[in-house]
Amino acid sequence: MQEIEIDANSMVPRDLNRAIKQAAKEYDRIIIKNPNAMHYMVAGLTDEVEIVIDGSAGYFAGTMIDGAKIHITENAGWFPADNMTGGEVIIDGAAGDGVGQGIYGGTVVVRRNVGSRTGEIMKNGTIIIGGNSGFMSGLFMMGGRIIVLGDISDDAGESIIRGTIYVLGNIKSLGKNAKIEEINDNDKMELKELLPAYGFQLDDGKYSDFKKIVPRSKRPFYGSKDSEEG
Amino acid sequence: MCGIAGVVFKDKKLHPVGDIMTRMLDALQHRGPDSAGFSIYGGLGLAEHEYLLNIEVKERPGILEQVKQAVNSVTPIKKEEVIPSVENYNIYRCKIDLNSFEELKPLIMDIDKLDDVIVLNGSHSFEMIKDVGLVKEIADRYDTYSKMGTHAIGHTRFSTESIVDRYHAHPFQSYITPDITLVHNGQITNYWKIRDPLERKGHIFETNNDTECIVHYIADKLHEGYKLEEALEQSVKDMDGPFSYIVGTPNGVGIAKDQLGLRPGVLAENDEVFAIASEEVSLRAVMDTHDIDQISPGESRAYTI
Repeated sequence: MQEIEIDANSMVPRDLNRAIKQAAKEYDRIIIKNPNAMHYMVAGLTDEVEIVIDGSAGYFAGTMIDGAKIHITENAGWFPADNMTGGEVIIDGAAGDGVGQGIYGGTVVVRRNVGSRTGEIMKNGTIIIGGNSGFMSGLFMMGGRIIVLGDISDDAGESIIRGTIYVLGNIKSLGKNAKIEEINDNDKMELKELLPAYGFQLDDGKYSDFKKIVPRSKRPFYGSKDSEEG
Repeated sequence: MCGIAGVVFKDKKLHPVGDIMTRMLDALQHRGPDSAGFSIYGGLGLAEHEYLLNIEVKERPGILEQVKQAVNSVTPIKKEEVIPSVENYNIYRCKIDLNSFEELKPLIMDIDKLDDVIVLNGSHSFEMIKDVGLVKEIADRYDTYSKMGTHAIGHTRFSTESIVDRYHAHPFQSYITPDITLVHNGQITNYWKIRDPLERKGHIFETNNDTECIVHYIADKLHEGYKLEEALEQSVKDMDGPFSYIVGTPNGVGIAKDQLGLRPGVLAENDEVFAIASEEVSLRAVMDTHDIDQISPGESRAYTI
């Protein structure tokens, strides 16, 4: 494996991203040292390369990536993995608001707590939160799945249209168009395959404790007749 | 956009908070290039009836003498200093005695009547430094690096609705109760609904800036007997719009965030320090921690010493 280190210490985001894109053509693994919570790191990278951000990231880490696997060893600010179409963003610490905002695919994992509006307007893909997720998680969610291993705050699944939110802890309140369904064997099987793959080891019995938030209607704003659904 | 920051040392002892706040604000420079400001509490060392005036004076013949005359006509100037700023302005600072805090605002209003003169602030327990330009430029101009204190708040400004000048740089101060200052990121959309009752109570507004409105609101609540935590909690219920703001008082700092969480706020704390800011990068100027808390929508937090 070809590996390179880039020291971000005296760089601005534009220069760092240019250096990453250049390195991604020649190396399999890029380690970013001294990231110092810089914004927009690894924006728009479309190479299938492994990136380690050795520290914390600022806003929009890994925005619009397609295929890269990013590992942030500390925290991230607002909107990590925003609008990504494929790949992975793994955050070992906590993250701010809008984790996985608008993603079309790929997987985002945050091992600790996150802020508000997790997975807002996401179309597909997977978001796993190891801790708690804040206000209006799954806002206008249009597909994909969010898994929260801690608690989820007020208005969970606000105006959700498609997709699923699995919650192991407490649900403080549901948003408009959200309802709770019983978890079934297929859901459990899906979670049992997914969670250990990202280092979340749960006792077998715990999988039955998940609650599942889904939309009440696929057309909550433009009519509710069956013929208008879908 | 704007960047806000606050820090408190829990041991109540003097620390280089000027240098620390400079680094916290420099880390938030990208959030606003127009102006920056500091309130550094606890290090002024003024005697009981002493106050520090901070006055912007245009560089033209005779005007500084008029300012000194206006001050001396009320109380003798005990100590003075002139700090050159930019765009043909100087900052005139003087130490004075007043019989009571209630005499401070009328004196400021008298001095403000002079042409090309604006009193930026008057204080007893903190030093306000605010100017146009970048954090490091202002830090060099006023030597913020050497300022000691127990706690501080600060701001980098990206102006939206008000003009860019020294007076509109944050922090804003209220004189409803002594030494309350505030830095703000956001907009208060029910501004007049908040301002009207405060004006009817007799509080004086100098600008149409929403940050001035918040600092008067908080000072009014503290004057009524609210604790800082209670004033912040009530403010979140009463204010509309996207905001996060940090308040500085003679014995602490606090942060409040709007109910939809539309502006950022993060917190880090250990046995020695309580620190709050717009972004983690600013907290890292104070402490090396992996433990960063997001301030939740509608949440307020405070630490008093």
